[in-house]
Amino acid sequence: MICSTSNLAQRRYVVRMWVAAALCILFSVVTALEFKRGHPTGVLTYLMAILPALPIIGALVGTGIYLLEEADEFQRNLLIQSLLGGMGAILSVATVWGNLEDFAHAPHLDLIWVYPMFWVFVGLSYGVVTLRYR
Amino acid sequence: MICASSSPAMKRYNYRFIATMLGYVAFLGPAAWVFSHHPPTGIVAYLLAVLPAIPIVAGLAVAGIYLGEEKDEFQRTIFIQSMLWSIGSTLVVTTVWGFLEHFLQVWRLELYLVFPLFWFFVGVSSPLIKARYK
Repeated sequence: MICSTSNLAQRRYVVRMWVAAALCILFSVVTALEFKRGHPTGVLTYLMAILPALPIIGALVGTGIYLLEEADEFQRNLLIQSLLGGMGAILSVATVWGNLEDFAHAPHLDLIWVYPMFWVFVGLSYGVVTLRYR
Repeated sequence: MICASSSPAMKRYNYRFIATMLGYVAFLGPAAWVFSHHPPTGIVAYLLAVLPAIPIVAGLAVAGIYLGEEKDEFQRTIFIQSMLWSIGSTLVVTTVWGFLEHFLQVWRLELYLVFPLFWFFVGVSSPLIKARYK
């Protein structure tokens, strides 16, 4: 999907995702530097801490917009199936690892890794789902 | 959705899902008791910690089976949309809270809570999505 740029909805989606990724890196660096230089106080602390999450929310909204814009039923179905696959996988991993942390004192997996792991699983699902239709 | 049991696939889904949740309770109780009274070590600790997660993973598989079995296109669409909204909402919460934990050391949201959080959002989004089609 990422490589074929003939589809207008896909092209817009890829551009949005790149913008969101770039903003996420930029905001993460800004926030990390801000916390390193001098600890902000009050409500600003919370706002600075969630700043890198905003482009991530934007990327999720962008995915929803793509699903609405995509006129090709087959492509939309491929992404929906991949998202559902990624969802099942990330919920399974979070539950299994959560139990391991809670009972067996396994190393703590930070919550911020849930989002990138979800997309890794979506990518893997996309490959599997695409293969099924070949 | 739980109340609308007109579709045979939905009925089967409800029975299977309840069975997985009963399995969860049946596994969680003994696992928690063993860890608090006779804490196991090594591989046994890991296997026992993973035990309550198995019915949870099965619950996700049951949802996938339902999507494969459901003949009513409308019911399937509602279910898919509510799951997509819910995974989006769950990822927003885990990401925002993850950054708050990372930068501000706020109260830790345990990973095993991601799964109930997801189903909470399914419960909230399903009636809203249904209401849109009324």
